Amino acid sequence: MIIWEVAYELGVEYFRLWKAYVFPSPIDVVKTLYGLVNDQTIIIAIIASAKRIVLGYAISVVLGLLVGLTIVKFKWLDENASPLILGLQTLPSICWLPFAILWYGLNESAIMFVIAIGSTFAVAIALEAGIKNINPLYIRAARTMGASGIKIYWNVIIPASLPAIVSGLKQGWSFAWRALMAGEMMSATKGLGQVLMVGRDLADISQVMAVMIVIIVLGVVVDKLIFGQIEQNIRQRWGLDRA
Amino acid sequence: MKMSIKVEDVSKRFITKHSDTETLSKVNIEFKPGEFICILGPSGCGKSTLLNIIAGLEQATAGRVTLNGKQVTGPGPDRVVMFQEAALFPWLNVIDNVEFGMKMAGVEPKMRRERALKYLKMVHLTNFQHAFIHELSGGMRQRVALARALTFDSEVLLMDEPFAALDSQTKMLLQIELQQIWLKTKKTILFVTHNVEEAAILADRVVVMAANPGGIKKEFQIQVARPRQSGDVDLAYLMNNIMQELKTEVEKVAKAEYDNDWDIQKNPILPDINDNLGSGV
Repeated sequence: MIIWEVAYELGVEYFRLWKAYVFPSPIDVVKTLYGLVNDQTIIIAIIASAKRIVLGYAISVVLGLLVGLTIVKFKWLDENASPLILGLQTLPSICWLPFAILWYGLNESAIMFVIAIGSTFAVAIALEAGIKNINPLYIRAARTMGASGIKIYWNVIIPASLPAIVSGLKQGWSFAWRALMAGEMMSATKGLGQVLMVGRDLADISQVMAVMIVIIVLGVVVDKLIFGQIEQNIRQRWGLDRA
Repeated sequence: MKMSIKVEDVSKRFITKHSDTETLSKVNIEFKPGEFICILGPSGCGKSTLLNIIAGLEQATAGRVTLNGKQVTGPGPDRVVMFQEAALFPWLNVIDNVEFGMKMAGVEPKMRRERALKYLKMVHLTNFQHAFIHELSGGMRQRVALARALTFDSEVLLMDEPFAALDSQTKMLLQIELQQIWLKTKKTILFVTHNVEEAAILADRVVVMAANPGGIKKEFQIQVARPRQSGDVDLAYLMNNIMQELKTEVEKVAKAEYDNDWDIQKNPILPDINDNLGSGV
């Protein structure tokens, strides 16, 4: 913060290297942030964004797990569909936006679609890899103990691949978060991405920075508090955190 | 009624791109109810394959295995297997691991816990019932695996070198305890090992397997009072006899694996004690 303030004082006020609308003072940013919180713009935006991502992410997790399980279950599907899914995953989710707008129009569904498509494949690929890398001994042991069919899936295969699934969910989350911001910036009427765009349209660099900070903080909080906790829990259980 | 296992003309071939190996060739063997049998053989003689076929984890190329006259087609809780690694599930704690089989069988939770505790007590691990698997030593893990195997109340217990990865003190303790548990439960135990001493200590009958192709070479009845321990004089005599049988098989396997110029008799590191008896006096 201090370095930022010093850089601002020197660069903008003293030497006049940059214009004030290019490089904001941290004080202005905090002031704007405070203002945004005070008139509830940011609160409304966060709630709108949260609604979208929760729904979109939930859809993508369900879809991703289904796709992953189906691929693992049928070998011919695995051989044929895996390269396609890998290809689809490398496509940045924002590239789906024009497609989504043509399908759904400029509305919620389009953004939801982009979020879902952004993380579905990450989840599916993680699940598939997780199941493929299970120690075969677990399955042999479970089979000799009378487990089969759905029971072996529920009691052995899923818990055994849980570490991989959680890291897939985490990756899916970050994809979904990015997709959400991209989608909102392009086509939303409210939400964090839209507030960010309004900042740009008004040439209000302080607002742009303020919203960026909010986005970063939210991302880190979810990552650390939710996924970090789950991962930590699993690692402890499995004895992985003691190298 | 006690279970009897019959292995009839079982053969197993492994065919890959580069090779066609006959691992087992027309194996015939019968296990009497309540018998403790050790299958002894050099590595690669197909003893684990035989156990896997009996367990139903692998299919025989020819022949059949019957349990009480019914043909074995797949794995099942009437023939529980203990592996060299404990194969416990790291996402469950000790007691849940022991309960796993009963859970699969649909036993209600209260009953499950009761029986799991009974068998944990038998292997002396009730203090660790809530520990996670990574917190246990290798010997403790095998005890948990043994408790888990006992909960099935199956007449047959298949053990695939379960003590091979343990240190010798732990192994000794577990050998004594396994004998006690066997005397208590009177299960039919099929125990695969490559350790002559272990086979002699544990078994009523030691079956020595031949290698390339795998088959039964010779059987030894061991009628020594139990509980037996290593260092028993009567066992030492039997062990020597078994060792003689095993040695030729070990040599056969080694010859197949090493270069042509390898020979067990050539260039021995230690001279034969009979060659120079008294020469240093």
